[in-house]
Amino acid sequence: MSTVVHPSDVRVDAVRKIVGAEEYAGDVSLEGMVHACIVRSSERHARIEAVDTSAALTIDGVLRVVTAGDLDCALYGRIVRDIPVLAVDKVRYLGEPVAAVVATTRRLAELGAAAVVVEYGPLPAVVTADAALEPDAPLVHEAPWEYARAVVSPDDPPNLQSRAARGTRQEAEAALAGAAHVVDETYVTPAGHQGYLEPQCCVARWNAEAGSLELWIPNKTPYRLVEQLAACLGRPAASIELHPVAIGGDFGGKGSPMAGPLCAELSRLVGRPVRLALRYAEDLAATNPRHPTSIRVRMGCDTGGRLVGLVVDAQVDGGAYAGYKPMPEVSLRGIGHAASSYRVDAAYVESRIAYTNTVPKGHARAPGSPQITFAVESALDELALRSGLSPWEIRRRNVLRTGETGHEGVRYAEHRAAEVLERAERSIRPATAPAGTRHGLGIALYDRPTGLGYTSLRLTARADGDLDVGVAVPDTGTGSHTVVREVLAGALALDPACLHVRHLPTGALPGDQGVGGSRVTATLSSAALLAAERWQARGGEDSIVVELRGEAEEPITSYCAQVAQVAVDPTTGELTLLDLLTVVDVGTVVHPASHQSQVDGGATMGIGFALYEDLELDDGQVWASNLGEFKLPSVRDLPSLQTEVLEGGKGVGPANVKSIGELVNPPVAAAIANAVFAATGVRLRRVPLRAEDLWEALYPATAAAPGRPAVPAAAAAGPAPGGSSEQP
Amino acid sequence: MHFRLNGQTADVDAEPTEPLLDVVRRAGCTGPKEGCWIGVCGACTVIVDGLPVSACLYLAGMAEDADVWTVEGLTADDPALVDAFADAAALQCGFCTPGQVTTAWWVAHRPDVDGGPGGARSPGGAGGPGGDPDVAALMAGNLCRCTGYQAIRAAVETYRAGH
Ligand code: FES
Ligand code: FES
Repeated sequence: MSTVVHPSDVRVDAVRKIVGAEEYAGDVSLEGMVHACIVRSSERHARIEAVDTSAALTIDGVLRVVTAGDLDCALYGRIVRDIPVLAVDKVRYLGEPVAAVVATTRRLAELGAAAVVVEYGPLPAVVTADAALEPDAPLVHEAPWEYARAVVSPDDPPNLQSRAARGTRQEAEAALAGAAHVVDETYVTPAGHQGYLEPQCCVARWNAEAGSLELWIPNKTPYRLVEQLAACLGRPAASIELHPVAIGGDFGGKGSPMAGPLCAELSRLVGRPVRLALRYAEDLAATNPRHPTSIRVRMGCDTGGRLVGLVVDAQVDGGAYAGYKPMPEVSLRGIGHAASSYRVDAAYVESRIAYTNTVPKGHARAPGSPQITFAVESALDELALRSGLSPWEIRRRNVLRTGETGHEGVRYAEHRAAEVLERAERSIRPATAPAGTRHGLGIALYDRPTGLGYTSLRLTARADGDLDVGVAVPDTGTGSHTVVREVLAGALALDPACLHVRHLPTGALPGDQGVGGSRVTATLSSAALLAAERWQARGGEDSIVVELRGEAEEPITSYCAQVAQVAVDPTTGELTLLDLLTVVDVGTVVHPASHQSQVDGGATMGIGFALYEDLELDDGQVWASNLGEFKLPSVRDLPSLQTEVLEGGKGVGPANVKSIGELVNPPVAAAIANAVFAATGVRLRRVPLRAEDLWEALYPATAAAPGRPAVPAAAAAGPAPGGSSEQP
Repeated sequence: MHFRLNGQTADVDAEPTEPLLDVVRRAGCTGPKEGCWIGVCGACTVIVDGLPVSACLYLAGMAEDADVWTVEGLTADDPALVDAFADAAALQCGFCTPGQVTTAWWVAHRPDVDGGPGGARSPGGAGGPGGDPDVAALMAGNLCRCTGYQAIRAAVETYRAGH
């Protein structure tokens, strides 16, 4: 079956979003609804000695102050169930919910929360992964292996959340020992918020008589959230219903239960519908940001620049709880994909995620990949320099070719790395650096597999002859509901305007796996094609439901190469990104405008990770506590963004699609860091890449002293673009 | 308090010190959104007496007797504004969109490019003295995490060109 593409079709949600009519959780207002605000810990690690609610309860309009003792629920989590709805006996991070105030208005709830007095007995805290994994470190959890579905045992180091390893260490070490050139460096990335603009929010309505619970919550895995809530609240899943609301940005941050369990409990306790909306400052300080990492990369090649050995040791700060990670092994899969674009004789990759007294970490667009790609693609340039090859040449000599298998042991249907690199090299438009600055160009490469998931779909004939299309999965903004319409319109030879796509409440359809892993387009388009087939073959029914449990026939991966051009002011270290070229490897593009928007948005998020975004978690407190301090790129911060689409790839399923949502953001930081090196000879191994760090590396002697130094010869001359000189 | 909301007289109960955003949302205009809550993201943008403001910071008392427009009112009889964003697919999650559309309206209708209130060359205007009133400069107060801005910029340019 072929797919007809309607490139000019307007997104299904466009008009209602443009005129302000789209409904988000914060827009839901129910009869009798009251408001809640959370009292948060002011300590990193402390015993809760007393909670004095008396002052809060004197405020007119405050209905109830709730602490852990009032709750009737278990710990929650996506895999490991280790998160208390409100802290029990002790707090484990600054910002942890300790109590909640319910009042008739949000303002009164906030006043009430400010009036609650909590007495703490401070405990020693660990705020970095390195410190937490020391043998005699203070314990964040006394017995973490006792939590439901924990992946650690009493024999593990005390604060371990999870450990994942691939390969054999001895073999990889032996290969490194025999290498002609070796790089051994450590790369550091910070905690970063997903930056969705809609703060976390939930509206809950508990109906005591019916024994039912309804929620309006921006969550991208609704059917899984129902299971998580059922386990936490001790209620049958069938009694819980999630109503569809739009999601104001996700990027991984809207997959956890977040405000849901507490809001549900509050509604039960006050017997009224409750809205619990976070302020953005709370969201930055205390939701589920990207994991900070410290990644040691040892990589070696032979005299011909062929990669012979790779050892990666990643130390990852998981924060106070493991429960926001959804993978069964509780790891960040991206880290395991280290150097997955290349042939390596012997590789060993290990990551250790630690419990610390910091905000619990969760998934953020391509979990683990921006961190590992910054490390490995920077290290590869460092190795190129040592072996006398250009950054392009070392990649060309090592990329996987179709038919080959990388160290992950997966045999993909094709590898288009060489074509992607070639297209990148051919498409560079040299950018002009302003007078007095130095120009540099850097390349980075990344690949990401695409899979199929589980979803269900309903087609119903309408009286007017049109079709209602009910989907089980929310559109987080990517355009997935528009993809369903495009594919169905093509397969049924219908005008897209006759198809009305709607997200249905949980319970209306058999189920769905949720948004994630860049598999939504593949899964939904396959489900839509299956639905079209069944629709055409149906008997008399005017409604059908299909379920797709996807198994791709062959593993598929997609490549992305990025070329950054920068200008560096050698006097100040100021860094300007002039141009970012993105080359993506695609199968069939179902909705070109949405696809391009994923590329532009991904590149922009990668720029934010590379240059701006840092929650500044250094001592366990989130210091970048508002969107002025935690800076997301604005339209003015962007360079010219160019995209090259390499058509003709082999995609997943009959719709032949590849992933895009998490393909473009991971390589940006390494491309820029490599360009900075080409411009200045300075290798920055920490993101965000800052003018201060660059200046200190350019002027090591004067960095400690105030005053404006003269330009040293090394910076003024600089190496040739492509990075052919050693560091100063 | 008393003001005009999307061309209609509005009499609402409001504290003079509460944010205008809460007041317009209570009055039924939930298009403007609360994002950052500190005047950075632009999701809450509304037009007060012809100028775009961050309604999360703008006190209700300052809008007494003012002429306030939200995305609902601005798009109601302006199909060109809606089409410009729809045709360019200038949105994903849509949370920033009401603010983007509101600022886009101002970009096209701004009183005076060269120095009138809010003009790009007015003191503190978007482009700064002698600055270039290009779309990026005028729209820099509206963050979008999803789209990478390219499509939004195209939409605003299309809409402005039609005026
Ligand atoms: S919510 Fe007003 S500017 Fe962000
Ligand atoms: S469309 Fe999501 S923030 Fe702009």
